[in-house]
Amino acid sequence: MSKIGRGTYILLSIPIVLLSIFLVYPVLRITIEGLLSGRGTPFLQVISSYSTQYTMVFTTSQATASTVLSVLVGLPGALLISRLDFRGKSIVRSLIIVPFVLPPIVVVVGFMQMFGSYGIIDTSLMWLTGSSTSILNIADGAVGIVLAHTFYNAPLVILLVSASLERLNPEIEDAAEILGATSNQRFFRITLPHIVPALSAAAILTFLFCFMSFPIVLALGNGVYKTIEVQIWDSFRWADYSEASSLVLIQIIITMTLAIAYIRIGHGNDQDVSPTSSMRTTKFSAFQRKEKILILAYVVMILILIGGPIVAIIRAAIYNPVTRSYSFEGFAYLLTGGASGGFNPLINTLFYGGLATILSILLGIPLAYAHRSNSRNLPTLSSVMVLLPLGISSISMAYGLMTVIAVPTGLNINPWPIIVIAQTIIGLPFTTRSIEISLRSIDPNIIDQADSLGATPFQRFFFVELPLILPGILVGAVFAFAMAIGEMSATLFIALPQNYTLAIAIYDNLGVRKFVQAGASALLLVVICVIAFFTMERISEGSTGGAL
Amino acid sequence: MVSVELKGLVRKFADGTHIGPIDLKIENGELLTLLGPSGSGKTTTLRMIAGFIESDEGQLLFDDVDMVEIPPRDRGIGMVFQSVALFPNMTVYQNIAFGPDMAEWKHDQTVARVEELADLLGIRHLLFRKISEISGGEAQRVGLARALAKQPKLLLLDEPLSALDPQLRERLQTEIRRVQQKLGITTIYVTHSQDEAFAISDRVAIIDDGKIIQVGTPEVLYDSPVNEFVARFLGSGNIFSGIISEVKNESIVVDVNGNEFRVEGTGVKGDQIKFTVKPEDIILNKEQSEDAVLGEVLAVTPLVGLFKITIALNGEIIYAITQDEDFVKQMRSNKERKISFFFIPRDAVILRD
Repeated sequence: MSKIGRGTYILLSIPIVLLSIFLVYPVLRITIEGLLSGRGTPFLQVISSYSTQYTMVFTTSQATASTVLSVLVGLPGALLISRLDFRGKSIVRSLIIVPFVLPPIVVVVGFMQMFGSYGIIDTSLMWLTGSSTSILNIADGAVGIVLAHTFYNAPLVILLVSASLERLNPEIEDAAEILGATSNQRFFRITLPHIVPALSAAAILTFLFCFMSFPIVLALGNGVYKTIEVQIWDSFRWADYSEASSLVLIQIIITMTLAIAYIRIGHGNDQDVSPTSSMRTTKFSAFQRKEKILILAYVVMILILIGGPIVAIIRAAIYNPVTRSYSFEGFAYLLTGGASGGFNPLINTLFYGGLATILSILLGIPLAYAHRSNSRNLPTLSSVMVLLPLGISSISMAYGLMTVIAVPTGLNINPWPIIVIAQTIIGLPFTTRSIEISLRSIDPNIIDQADSLGATPFQRFFFVELPLILPGILVGAVFAFAMAIGEMSATLFIALPQNYTLAIAIYDNLGVRKFVQAGASALLLVVICVIAFFTMERISEGSTGGAL
Repeated sequence: MVSVELKGLVRKFADGTHIGPIDLKIENGELLTLLGPSGSGKTTTLRMIAGFIESDEGQLLFDDVDMVEIPPRDRGIGMVFQSVALFPNMTVYQNIAFGPDMAEWKHDQTVARVEELADLLGIRHLLFRKISEISGGEAQRVGLARALAKQPKLLLLDEPLSALDPQLRERLQTEIRRVQQKLGITTIYVTHSQDEAFAISDRVAIIDDGKIIQVGTPEVLYDSPVNEFVARFLGSGNIFSGIISEVKNESIVVDVNGNEFRVEGTGVKGDQIKFTVKPEDIILNKEQSEDAVLGEVLAVTPLVGLFKITIALNGEIIYAITQDEDFVKQMRSNKERKISFFFIPRDAVILRD
């Protein structure tokens, strides 16, 4: 791209300015004001209090446990995906991303139905032992939280590590073999060092997600187990603004450090090496008996842990574990209007999500261009802006938006625009990244060609570049939409009852033990996400991994 | 060192195509090049010798011992890969020492060996560099040193120079040849470049469509290609196709689209026949001679020290080479585009199939 003019510069700065107003400024202000206002518990008292320390220890240890488990579950999967030659590999590869686009609260519903009391596993065990009461409930408390986090993040590990394995030049392993290395020596001296950056990046990202986890901890933690994120929400509800701000500060310091570490590792790994087509794979039949059993055991475990909860959502929509009976009340609920029905939340979900998607595309395009422009500050600023949502939790952002934007403008009476703003900010990194990847793949000669044929920058953008980045825009849009309709943290923080979305309605229904209503809503969200996902697959032809 | 023999080696692929059967013998201490176009099966053949690709039929003998069942790491082979494939997480030293380390050599012995090879290849100053800090040509030398470290009996090189620029490639060809001759190691070299093959090899095996077409010294291949493929691939010849119109003692007359040429050899009158004549054997007449035919000059291309003349003869293209600058000047100043040429019957090589 040639040097940019003043007009372009202003155009490209718009998203950066908006993010500064709606993300950076509110969060900075609540942090500082909350700490100084004296309304509530002061900072030093907060960090020295038992409950904060308990929350911090729990937040860190559940994130650590979830990360370790995700890596343990994900690593064999990554090795299998890249090394095992089997039919339907491309389908499995694209399905791996499904858990990532599922709303957390939906996963909670699936988990309870799969692993909870009177869930699929519990029911099977009861039938086996002849017991009439529930005997197993692992979709609860710390165990449930860690398992649900593993459900989310093991696929992330598989995705990132298998991509790295596929970039390993197979001749390097051949070279090690011909120099006398056994398969173990090859793994530890060649393969493992190669995937360490990807593995670390995946681990940091997993830790970060689990550290800021809100819906899963809120729903499965029973108020006993809290992450910092949950406690910020709690403090805010009890109007202890100083405590909330202190916690935001603590959290941001930790998450920002992690986010920067992630980006650093990511950059070191960004060698633009495409997957090698000569990747050596082995057929299942070529493995030894013992290895075959291990592989099968692993596949069964994955099917139960990751496939199970997704399938269980279907059962959740029609089976009520309290009355232990089947019913279609859940679907009726979705069609019921008014304050007690699920129709209004559904409309809200689609409306907010749709609007947020459009906005995050409109902002994502200039932000992606800013990232690639050769002006002095824009690329740095735009990458910082894309990085921020990774390091600022949804609850912190919502807290900032409510206090700094909604209250002074009077929007707190009906804060739906704030919800849309929050969901836009959450979706923006996905659209930007996806658009930027498409931009990167445009042959610069094509742009030069358009210029030399006399196209104005305006014509060039609309007739040449836009059609070329359209797939990237659509993939980003689908991703942003999936994120928006499933978003619960910021939305729950901001929404008044008339603004409830389906995700919040699910949480509410779970709270009052209306399980089929929650189940049917969850199923609907899954269906929307799956349709979105398949649309995305069609558009991107299997390159969705890049959007991460 | 070792002599290598491939006996009826076959590799079948899922799509029904196959490589082989390949029969080839590489003498102890010899450098043999597998030369062929891409997709001809040369790399597959090399990988069968290394053991990375299993053969479906046939024998692979190292000094008369069948190696087919032996895993690559126990075959006593050193290999240089197309992508060099140095271990990026190790230093140059660690790369070269990898083989001895795996074989659990004593530390002193490994150090001595690495230093010996580093001196031989002039990379001693690089030993403690990271792989990302050395150039392409240096990487090739390190790759060669790594392959040689464990004192293999056989060295395999899979298009090791294809990614380098022409000048560096030429320098490293000489280097590889020097090291190979110094160590006297049996070597199989794969390339698609005729120049490279001819510059480096004791013998060259031309491979096409999974079969060895011709094996011989560069001179033999160049002077007497066995068929049209070899002739065309080596770029050595103008290929003429015609019908034998007359059979004489030790020579035949071939009618090529109405022009008659005398060719040394035998044949049956009325048979279709092909023969090749090297560009340097085409003699351009300054005056008309009775054996000559008349063609049209399409282009005169100056090369180093000589000129390539492109001649059209009844739609066929014929290349000739001349060093005669005056002749070229004269031809250029003349508006005359016609040129006559002939060749000595002995210089034409009759091609089978």
